[in-house]
Amino acid sequence: MDPTQLLLQAGVGDWEFVWRQRQFFVDGTWLAVKLTFFSMLLGFVVGLPAGVVEAYGGRYSKGVVRPLGVVVRGTPILVIISLTYFAFGVSPAFVAATLALGVRSAAYQSQIFRGAIESVESGQMEAARAVGLSKLDAIRHVVLPQALRRSVPGFQNEFTIVLKDTSIAYAIGVAELLKRSYDLFSIQTTAALEVFLAASLIYFVLTFTVNRGIEQLHDRVAIPGGNQ
Amino acid sequence: MTDPLLDVDDVHQSYGEETVLEGISFEMERQDVKVLVGPSGSGKSTMLRCINRLTDIDDGDISLDGDSIYDLDVNDLRRQVGMVFQDFNLFAHLTALENVTLGLKRVLDYGEREAVEKAAWQLEAVGLREQADSYPAELSGGQKQRVGIARALAMDPKLMLFDEPTSALDPELIGEVLEVMRELADEGMTMLVVTHEMGFAKQAATDVLFLDDGKLVEQGPPEQLFENPEHDRTAAFLSRLTKLHGGQ
Repeated sequence: MDPTQLLLQAGVGDWEFVWRQRQFFVDGTWLAVKLTFFSMLLGFVVGLPAGVVEAYGGRYSKGVVRPLGVVVRGTPILVIISLTYFAFGVSPAFVAATLALGVRSAAYQSQIFRGAIESVESGQMEAARAVGLSKLDAIRHVVLPQALRRSVPGFQNEFTIVLKDTSIAYAIGVAELLKRSYDLFSIQTTAALEVFLAASLIYFVLTFTVNRGIEQLHDRVAIPGGNQ
Repeated sequence: MTDPLLDVDDVHQSYGEETVLEGISFEMERQDVKVLVGPSGSGKSTMLRCINRLTDIDDGDISLDGDSIYDLDVNDLRRQVGMVFQDFNLFAHLTALENVTLGLKRVLDYGEREAVEKAAWQLEAVGLREQADSYPAELSGGQKQRVGIARALAMDPKLMLFDEPTSALDPELIGEVLEVMRELADEGMTMLVVTHEMGFAKQAATDVLFLDDGKLVEQGPPEQLFENPEHDRTAAFLSRLTKLHGGQ
């Protein structure tokens, strides 16, 4: 049906319904934020070293990390989350969802960091080694500070995807934003548009504000005179 | 008798199928300034990179102060051998001062204050006191290269390697870098320099080495190589280079 038609048909009462349930939304939002934060964190803690290994690792370390990433990236998130909760029995559901989203994010973040590391001119590593820095010190003090700055746009993308994909946790019963929207919709079926519009508005405001925040941080750490 | 500072002994090097160096031998005494010249692809840069092990050799040996460089810890070797790059390779996220302090702190274990003091002094020595807090992107090419020299010198190297230090510079900026290199030579630094600047070779070099096709064709004091070379190839190459880069 035409959306404007829907709007016209929907009674004011359905918006009131949404407003009255605002605390229910807020709790779901808070859960989505926590899911996002912890899975991004897990994704970073695992994904950064994985990216370094993919860029600089030896044959064996790459031989382990690379196929793992390929498998995880090739598996639908719904399958990963179901496996984690139902097959591997991780509980409570919030932990299972965080783990699943985090592992998936690690697989993607590793590629963001690998790409950023490889974009740092090889002369930077060479000059650091020529001064006498060990490879690890050169990575830590010369390559990574530049690579991390360059990975911000990719990281913003990843954040946006993870935040929206927290809604998948609905599949294992985590009462995040989308799950709660379904619950409300089943109580008042006429309020479909209002309920889901409110949920998507919340997702949008979250992605928008956090992305602006990351951009400001990016500007603040930008290299003076540089083009990144 | 003491060992020469640098002893390059019958060095062979190849990248896969392609042979780059075919039995290069030469020695450097302390305070020598040797200039490596030769057509592009003759193996000059590779020769330099073998000395601080950025490139590994296939055969032969290189000794620094009597020790084979393969018996030394690679990071310790590199601390003793400074390198200046054609493209500067300054650490882009660090100020001029921090470019110099990084090695002092991470390799020589200097404390923050000592490192800053030494780096500031080193930058002043290359005429960049005012630019200490500038980032590489805010510096001219000549200033960048002087930071590159200061970064290498701060480690108190026994030997300095220069890999075409002025080739990426606008002509009007070459002079300031050569000036710093000349001063360094006058102070007695041992230097191995790949360059096309024949003016520098004539004024500052104790010897000029002519490399062609991976072989050392000829070496000798600049006046001998420029005025009275043994080989026609040397004569032809040097006269062409002098016409192009005779300057200063």
